[in-house]
Amino acid sequence: MRLPDMTRPTADAVESRLTYTDGASRTVFATEVEVPFPEGRLIVSRTDLDGIITHANDAFVELSGWVRDELIGKPHHILRHPDMPKVAFKDLWNTVSEGKKWHGYVKNLRKDGSYYWVYATAVPNIRNGQIAGYTSVRRKPSRTRIDELIPVYRQWLEQEKEKIAS
Amino acid sequence: MTLNFLIAPDFSPERFAGWHMLNTLLQRRSGIHLHLLTPASPAEQAALLAEGKVDMVYANPFDAADMIRSQGYVPFARPAERFDEMVIATGSESSLQKLEDIQPGSRIALTDNKDVKLIGLRLLEPADLNESLIEWVPVESFQAVARLTIKGGVQAGFFLAEAYASLTRMTRSQLRVLVESRISDISHVVLAHPRMAGDLPRLSEALLGIGREPADSDVLEALGIPKGFEAMTQEDAEFMIDLMDTLLD
Repeated sequence: MRLPDMTRPTADAVESRLTYTDGASRTVFATEVEVPFPEGRLIVSRTDLDGIITHANDAFVELSGWVRDELIGKPHHILRHPDMPKVAFKDLWNTVSEGKKWHGYVKNLRKDGSYYWVYATAVPNIRNGQIAGYTSVRRKPSRTRIDELIPVYRQWLEQEKEKIAS
Repeated sequence: MTLNFLIAPDFSPERFAGWHMLNTLLQRRSGIHLHLLTPASPAEQAALLAEGKVDMVYANPFDAADMIRSQGYVPFARPAERFDEMVIATGSESSLQKLEDIQPGSRIALTDNKDVKLIGLRLLEPADLNESLIEWVPVESFQAVARLTIKGGVQAGFFLAEAYASLTRMTRSQLRVLVESRISDISHVVLAHPRMAGDLPRLSEALLGIGREPADSDVLEALGIPKGFEAMTQEDAEFMIDLMDTLLD
């Protein structure tokens, strides 16, 4: 399932071309508008082994800006924000595919180009000894930790761009 | 033959009669004699389970996780549209206005409810608080949490949301909710011991059918489960356990 390019939401949205681990790529637009994480809620989603969304709870749907039918059956990277370094997701997939739990702070892209920060945990769904899919739960993050990580992610992103350029 | 039906000890005291009414109804409709076990504490529940005599159990979700994955209990029902949520409240006179105002070293009152504590800890993360930065004040009941919070003996209290809602209006007027969880995916679970596989279809049918007859609404109201019970598959339960696993750290 390849995602179509985003349409530019506002004049001041920044355009980026993202390439995902499955080789697909698309154009996204990101604005500087942050949407706060709703108090007391958890964002829950499940994917199959290929990262295709199979379940999304109401909080996931609401915060993403998409409607449920636009999310189910799509790759989870529909939420990928251009400010997120690829290495973070590489670590996620390496960890969960080994049957382990992964934690991390993630900046997600909404349908309208705005963003929200989460503290994400992903676990493999082990059934009869086999990994059958993955569950991801996102909760309201510490602002202190996000502020500490923003420059780190920026640095990792620069390193990735330099590597591609060289 | 009599089967033992254990009810997790975290229900509100005023629901006690409701569980007995449900038990009577289940016996009548399934034709199976059930002996209700209502332990007063998690420790008493653990002792009854360790004796190996519990055939059916209305379990707290965190206990259910262990019972399903380690002991082979079979999930088959859950309360319909009734989830386990928690409330963090402060005294109405407290200077705390939001969760982020709770400072390291603050005292928080709580009962011996693992689910309430775990969800509460996750809600405190945005305030940069973890377990070691709080002075925990364990108490026996949610009423005791309320008393201590109102008196200012603690900065905040943890409540099961249903228990908070069942406090008297006077008590609630002296408290202020800082946050209430709205997770909607975690609930109590009805489990059957694998040895009662032969009786399970009759019991399951009887439990899931409660609510179909007009008189059943009295029982469900007394239980605080107005929509009755819905079927829960093994995969539904496994998903809930995976979800709870993500909350453990």
